[in-house]
Amino acid sequence: MSKTRIGPDDYARPLRRLLVGGCVVLLLALFLVWRIDSPRVERFRAALVDALVPNLEWALVPVAKVADMVDDFQSYTRIYEQNQELKRELQKMKAWKEAAEQLEQKNARLLDLNHVRLDPKLTHITGVVMADSGSPFRQSVLLNVGARDGIRDGWATMDGIGFVGRISGLGERTSRVILVTDSNSRIPVTVQPSGQRALLSGDNSPLPLLDFIEDADEVRPGDRVVTSGDGEVLPAGLLVGQVVRGTDNRLRVALSADYQRLEFLRVLRSHDIEPITDPGGLIAPPLLPSDPAPVVDGEGDAAAPPVQGGGDVGETGSGDAEGGASGSGSRP
Amino acid sequence: MTRLFQTDPWGYRGLFLVLALLLLFLRLLPLGNAAGALPGPDLMLCLTLAWVMRRPDFLPVWMLVAVFLAEDLILMRPPGLWTALVVVATEFLRARTALTRELNFLVEWLLASGLMLAMLLVYRTVFLVTLLPQPPFGFAAVQVAWSALAYPVVVGLSRLAFDLRKPATGEIDDQGRRL
Repeated sequence: MSKTRIGPDDYARPLRRLLVGGCVVLLLALFLVWRIDSPRVERFRAALVDALVPNLEWALVPVAKVADMVDDFQSYTRIYEQNQELKRELQKMKAWKEAAEQLEQKNARLLDLNHVRLDPKLTHITGVVMADSGSPFRQSVLLNVGARDGIRDGWATMDGIGFVGRISGLGERTSRVILVTDSNSRIPVTVQPSGQRALLSGDNSPLPLLDFIEDADEVRPGDRVVTSGDGEVLPAGLLVGQVVRGTDNRLRVALSADYQRLEFLRVLRSHDIEPITDPGGLIAPPLLPSDPAPVVDGEGDAAAPPVQGGGDVGETGSGDAEGGASGSGSRP
Repeated sequence: MTRLFQTDPWGYRGLFLVLALLLLFLRLLPLGNAAGALPGPDLMLCLTLAWVMRRPDFLPVWMLVAVFLAEDLILMRPPGLWTALVVVATEFLRARTALTRELNFLVEWLLASGLMLAMLLVYRTVFLVTLLPQPPFGFAAVQVAWSALAYPVVVGLSRLAFDLRKPATGEIDDQGRRL
């Protein structure tokens, strides 16, 4: 065979083979380093995405908008049916609105009566979804808020209604949200009203699996699923979805969040939940004075600390409960 | 356009980079990969195999490493593993340039599909050995099936749009050297 230009040159062949072999070994070493020491490589990945994707935004946004417009345009074809449907829904909604307003007033009155202080710490930052993972095997999205905006790893994100996922991977200007449906996602949840604890584990299907239920007989399809706050990463009480029975006859969760249209996400600022480590101080009657002389003073001094201690325990307790979404009573 | 690119491989190299960027960009669009949706073809792999099969001198190894490593990092895959597999697969084809020049398209298609399947199997085996979670096999096999189906389309489009083809016997480039 004569020498051709597009084939590798003869004299360079051994050297080239060596270089390519070294290259493959280096790549596999990178994979192993990632497997062994994932956070370091993941930080590098976050930095790279952070540097690259915001620069693509000028192009990403118009294309996504056009695609949405095409979707919307297709829906024009059945506009008449939609109109009828909406009118019917509006009728129903009016009744609901009336009920909601009454409930709101009632709620406000009751809150006022109880002097409830809602947890001021549970505020949120809203971010826009810039890009998704681009792979059918990874369920995550990229938000346009990052460490610059005070986001931290592990914070919960919600859309308007339900829990969507948590922050995992943080850049200066971007952050990645691992969705509940991702196969790496494990969320501790509580099933209401039975109060069963369980683990919501994603498996790349639209209905994530409800694992490790304490007593599966107590859980019925239709029950509400909220985050439980176990593990002290996520705040408790965020709505996740409803229990359904999957086609494989296992208990799964139909998510409340609208996964078809993730556009704006709220990142909840949840600060570290304070654990209760103290079993509670002993509230004892004042120690009997050994010498009878300063009876009055001793009683006065000794009476004060136990009251102080009791106050501490009470405050820690209410502080922890405020980690939940609903807040709790504080003493006036 | 054809004459422009014939003079040196850099035109085609630039074209490959642009196409790679475009494909990556399309996959990043927030159009929602709903969970449970079936995956589409891996066009990037099709493109690479088709081009290496035709003109290996247009796709040097370093360029493939750069493109696929960037893709690994941005698409949240384990970095390095898929890149290494692509390098090994293209080297396999490169070593057989004389053979692939002779193949008719049907055999070439079979060869490319077999390579894709082999890459998937090795990829999943490594996942298994390193105890990484991975999607179910049927799910991933659908992607390979799609890629195999997309391969002729990619080849056809490369031929029509960019005039990329196997050099004929005795064909010479602009400087009169044999290809």
